[in-house]
Amino acid sequence: MSATITNPLRVGLRQERVIAPQCLIIFGASGDLTHRKLVPALFELFQQRRLPSEFALLGCARRPWSDEEFRQKMAEAMGAKVSDNRMAWDQFSAGMFYEPVDLQQPEDLVKLGHRLQEIDRLRATRSNRTFYLSVSPKFYGSGCRALADAGLLKDPDRSRVVIEKPFGRDYSSAQALNKVVQACGQEKQIFRIDHYLGKETVQNIMVLRFANTIFEPIWNRNYISSVQITAAETVGVEERAGYYETSGALRDMVQNHLTQMLAITAMETPGRFDPEAIRSEKAKVLQAARLADEQEPWNCCIRGQYGPGGSQAAPLAGYRQEPGVDPNSTTETYVAMKLFIDNWRWQGVPFYVRTGKRLPKRLSEVVLTFREAPVHLFDAAGGSPTANQLILRIQPDEGAEFRFDVKSPGSGMRSRPVEMEFSYDESFGEPSDEGYVRLLADAMLGDPTLFTRSDEVEAAWRLYTPLLELIEDSPWQLPIHPYESRTWGPAASDALLARDGLLWRRP
Amino acid sequence: MSPQLTLQTPLELPPSDVPAYLEQLWGQDQPSTGNAGAHTFCLLIWQPAWTEQQLIRTGRLSGPITGVQRQELIAAAREAVIEVDLPLSTPPLSAAVADALAGLAGDTKAEDLRGQHVDASVSSLRPRRLITLAPTLDATQELETLVAAYCPLPEEGGGTAACGDVVVLRGGHDALRRGLGILQPLLPEDLPSWVWWNGNLDEAPDLLRQLAIGPRRLIIDSALGDPLACLDLLAARIDARLAVNDLNWLRLRSWRETLAMVFDPPHRRDALSHVVQLDLDVEGEHPVQGLLLAAWIADRLGWHLNGSQRNEDHGISAEFQRPDGVAVQMRIAPVPMGAPSIHPGQIVGLRLISKPESAPAMCVILCAESGGCMRLEAGGMASMELLEEVVPVQNQPVEADVARLLEGGHDTTNPLLAATAPLAAKLLS
Ligand SMILES: NC(=O)c1ccc[n+]([C@@H]2O[C@H](COP(=O)([O-])OP(=O)(O)OC[C@H]3O[C@@H](n4cnc5c(N)ncnc54)[C@H](OP(=O)(O)O)[C@@H]3O)[C@@H](O)[C@H]2O)c1
Repeated sequence: MSATITNPLRVGLRQERVIAPQCLIIFGASGDLTHRKLVPALFELFQQRRLPSEFALLGCARRPWSDEEFRQKMAEAMGAKVSDNRMAWDQFSAGMFYEPVDLQQPEDLVKLGHRLQEIDRLRATRSNRTFYLSVSPKFYGSGCRALADAGLLKDPDRSRVVIEKPFGRDYSSAQALNKVVQACGQEKQIFRIDHYLGKETVQNIMVLRFANTIFEPIWNRNYISSVQITAAETVGVEERAGYYETSGALRDMVQNHLTQMLAITAMETPGRFDPEAIRSEKAKVLQAARLADEQEPWNCCIRGQYGPGGSQAAPLAGYRQEPGVDPNSTTETYVAMKLFIDNWRWQGVPFYVRTGKRLPKRLSEVVLTFREAPVHLFDAAGGSPTANQLILRIQPDEGAEFRFDVKSPGSGMRSRPVEMEFSYDESFGEPSDEGYVRLLADAMLGDPTLFTRSDEVEAAWRLYTPLLELIEDSPWQLPIHPYESRTWGPAASDALLARDGLLWRRP
Repeated sequence: MSPQLTLQTPLELPPSDVPAYLEQLWGQDQPSTGNAGAHTFCLLIWQPAWTEQQLIRTGRLSGPITGVQRQELIAAAREAVIEVDLPLSTPPLSAAVADALAGLAGDTKAEDLRGQHVDASVSSLRPRRLITLAPTLDATQELETLVAAYCPLPEEGGGTAACGDVVVLRGGHDALRRGLGILQPLLPEDLPSWVWWNGNLDEAPDLLRQLAIGPRRLIIDSALGDPLACLDLLAARIDARLAVNDLNWLRLRSWRETLAMVFDPPHRRDALSHVVQLDLDVEGEHPVQGLLLAAWIADRLGWHLNGSQRNEDHGISAEFQRPDGVAVQMRIAPVPMGAPSIHPGQIVGLRLISKPESAPAMCVILCAESGGCMRLEAGGMASMELLEEVVPVQNQPVEADVARLLEGGHDTTNPLLAATAPLAAKLLS
């Protein structure tokens, strides 16, 4: 049986909380993210009938588009998604509007306020407003302030602000930005996006840990010897060179996504399943995390950069040859590091974290390796006994896998590892929501579970401060190791684990 | 959260003065002040509260009359069922109880606060206008109209300028019908209006028809009233493309979810194409919820109805034909319950038997958390793969379900209900 036939009883059954009537205002409506992710995600929600009929989308940016131009541009960008569903799109786009707004012009925001009142009347959106800042990060602070100054964030129950990543460039800038943002409204109005958190399996780590009694007793230093967290991409920098050159893998992936995966894997059990309790536990565990060697960070962190690779038929350019990249660039496209978490649960357990572009496979996973049996009673078929491993696959093919030893068939008592698998596809057979669909729905529902709170963001930046300072002040101490495109990163990264007698899992 | 009273004592006005009074209250001639009231929605409630009124009149419950389903009301109604010698399985708030009480003596009076109690789940949505139609036991009573401005409490997000008002129309049936004339100007055209018929569907069909005109969105409870009338009303609205929401259907959500969950693993999907039998046990003799669930399954699985009939035990049997031509037997059986739910005809158990060609037969049993389903578990399934699930009971107060609908603001009928209700109606006719 193939997993693609949908469950006919599942069709149309979205037993979810309902999104209240509201207006979603996107700043940066003419930008890349809006037509690539945000509007498609909203249209998806509309087609799933998860948007109320009293819904409006107001696009804002500086250029003087009309409502109709905005609708057309979005339809063009979405191509077949729109042309194949013309009727639905016409219905959906009737609730789309555009207002030219320069976030730096206070009078524009006053005008925006009037336009919103008009939309409230037109669409009965009940003065519920979600402002989405999909503009350059330099406007996050001033944008919030402009909204607050125009009185648009006054009602803490009816207005909220969604802020895209990256939130700050380091600890002090994140702290400063938090100060600005928090002066504009209450923390509960602020939604900091991390689209990894929108992934079903990241959320599933929580369910797996806290809905089952069998994992929690062994989820600690007594049973787990090490943890590996990997997020591998096959793509290179593509057309984002301008942004990537100022960011690098550490800022782009580690500080946010990988750190969130780390937090959810390692956090203590929240007292209840409520957003604040979960976010508090995540913040706490991040505050307890540290680089394995804070004094000499070069001992616990490896940076890499992809060089050329591929085959003769399909050669791949190296990072420095990519358009828009400085030919002498020292921006890292790969990072691996070792961390510790100083608390009762994890004392002494190394957490290895790695991410990179142009690796052989696209995947994200968390691997928990358990301690070996204290006495080896049996010969292992493969020479040495294998440790038990629990592998949580985030993407692709979301699921979980447990590896343990069984008796090898035949005479004698030899053991060999086998795998027990659970795949989302095989058990549910339904694709889960794309990250932005989930995140937009949650933001409009006012559910902050999957968004990061100020203390989490700051703790995450603080964790990497020694590295960021080192890269800033004496980059030669954290040299860039080149690696061939479509290989698993520089050899130095393997050496990092080899020192502890370990290997990266080859997925 | 407990229901709250309006902040002001309502003002009694002659009916004809109400529209003008409200207009002046919100200063609609100067909309620029922004004080024209919340731009949200209007909710019109038919609030007969017959059982409550009768219990209070006969001294079995203390006042005031509120229209809210409070615990004391349900407890008093359960006692009344025993006292007036109705079958123990009579749902406490059903028309049968009110009718039986109507024959008893008593003339206790109580304040009538219908329309002035607003459940917090509704008021936090800041309705622009709540209009309550409150019919009195005395059918000849003259029309009274009450008006009050109203703001949600600050802890519910109130406190800003935008607010709403409450209008109550109270009187005998005829007086109310005459009073309908003032309603239209009270429902601003630029706001969605909902009509919640919180009573038996067949008790005042003329009023219902006049209130529920399009594009008003109707909320009904198809567990209240003559089953055929309930289903016909649903089917007619759907046919006319007028939005209709059914609280009885909403209460089925955990059944739909649990059944879908059983078939989520792809290796079980095949069983869905080979169903041969579907049995449903429902509480008491109101079959609508059972019919809706059966019709939903039939619609989702592409079954064609061959015919149906009423059984002597007040159950219903039907035969469907699967897309591959094989027949499916369906049966809805009423089971008596000692402590019935306040909602008539709630499902207590479901059994679905599937006989795939190349795999062992499979029997799925879903059982309401509140009761057993021994009848469905009995016999004949030893050779089948058995899957049992417990369906959680939803104990939401009715106001919370209504608030859920209002909050979501959908102006169309749920597509699953739209596909299901006409088939359910056919099963009964
Ligand atoms: N693209 C992605 O895949 C991606 C992924 C993750 C996160 N993000 C984040 O999402 C945000 C948006 O990214 P993007 O790629 O869409 O950026 P982009 O293509 O550069 O778009 C920027 C938008 O901001 C508008 N804008 C510029 N100055 C403005 C002002 N003063 N007032 C109002 N609007 C102004 C621009 O329109 P006008 O010129 O018409 O004003 C444009 O619509 C960024 O913060 C980025 O970090 C993007």
